[in-house]
Amino acid sequence: MVHISDGILPWELLLSGWAITAVILACTLIWMKIDDVPKLSVITAAVFVASLIHFQAGPTSVHLVLSGFAGVTLGILAYPCIFIAVVMQAFLFQHGGVTTIGINTVNMGVPALISFFIFKAGMKLNIGISKNEILFGAIAGGTAVALAVLLLAVELLLTGEEFTEVTTFVVAAHIPVILVEAIFTGVIVGFFATVKPEMLSIKKRL
Amino acid sequence: MRIIKSLSLLVLIIVLCTVLIPAASAHRVHLREQVMDVQIKAWYGGGDPMPNADVKIYSIRDEQEKLYLEGKTDENGLYYFAPELGTTSYRVVVELTGHKGELEFDLTAGSQPENVELPLYLSVLVGFGFLAGIGGIAAYLSARKMKAQ
Repeated sequence: MVHISDGILPWELLLSGWAITAVILACTLIWMKIDDVPKLSVITAAVFVASLIHFQAGPTSVHLVLSGFAGVTLGILAYPCIFIAVVMQAFLFQHGGVTTIGINTVNMGVPALISFFIFKAGMKLNIGISKNEILFGAIAGGTAVALAVLLLAVELLLTGEEFTEVTTFVVAAHIPVILVEAIFTGVIVGFFATVKPEMLSIKKRL
Repeated sequence: MRIIKSLSLLVLIIVLCTVLIPAASAHRVHLREQVMDVQIKAWYGGGDPMPNADVKIYSIRDEQEKLYLEGKTDENGLYYFAPELGTTSYRVVVELTGHKGELEFDLTAGSQPENVELPLYLSVLVGFGFLAGIGGIAAYLSARKMKAQ
């Protein structure tokens, strides 16, 4: 879900979504090197199809977001990754809308960046367990979805009181997604740390 | 006397015929087809139905649009409504937690074919192809840069 369709949010929110996205995109793209692009493409492909993996949560169907996974593997570049994925999902799968690409990227991209910082900060901590990347990967993965749902909830509540019921429904439906993504990101980060550490956004200190 | 006998026999035959012939009515039978319900089907890309989604039906008359009905789809993503008398144009908006679809149709024009969208596997392939292209170009440029160094 987390994709908002056209015609729901007021234009002020849509416009601020585009503005925030433009600024963050510009900053991250200046920072990006050409060598990062192949990895960015691969992770974006995963995020792009993730929205097709859906399961039943109560009366609705929810899908994976993988923004936390993008954050821990791409770091700052998670933002352009989410942007490209959201654009392709809007045009190819009709998920979300075209006018909402900006705000949808904010909703998923900003939590992806935060999950990267959580992961980075966590890996610097010495908590005395050998597989701490799995723990912090899982925390980052779960937090990214939780924050995305939180942002969406705030936007819907700002739009109007008629969305209160929908918001409660959306938040409740995403609790299983938070758990699934936490497990998925934890496992995949553990796997990458052992087999292909260069796939992670930070160098693992052995 | 003979005439009276013959007439009595004729009356008897007529009465018997009326009683014994299967009941038939002289009323004309009228038939007329009438479509009472319009079915709206909502499904996600990939074919999964969209259950419990909010449905809004707007009737369009003289280019004026007004909200006609509101409801929810059933577990199969279906919603039925009876058309408004004299109105054939409708706009339907189906929405569920941020997923939204719209359809404008005219009852006299017939139903649109269902699979007008690109098949899902093709959409995925298009997306992958696009990303592989970007990745490939970047890998090529990166390799050229390394060679130059």
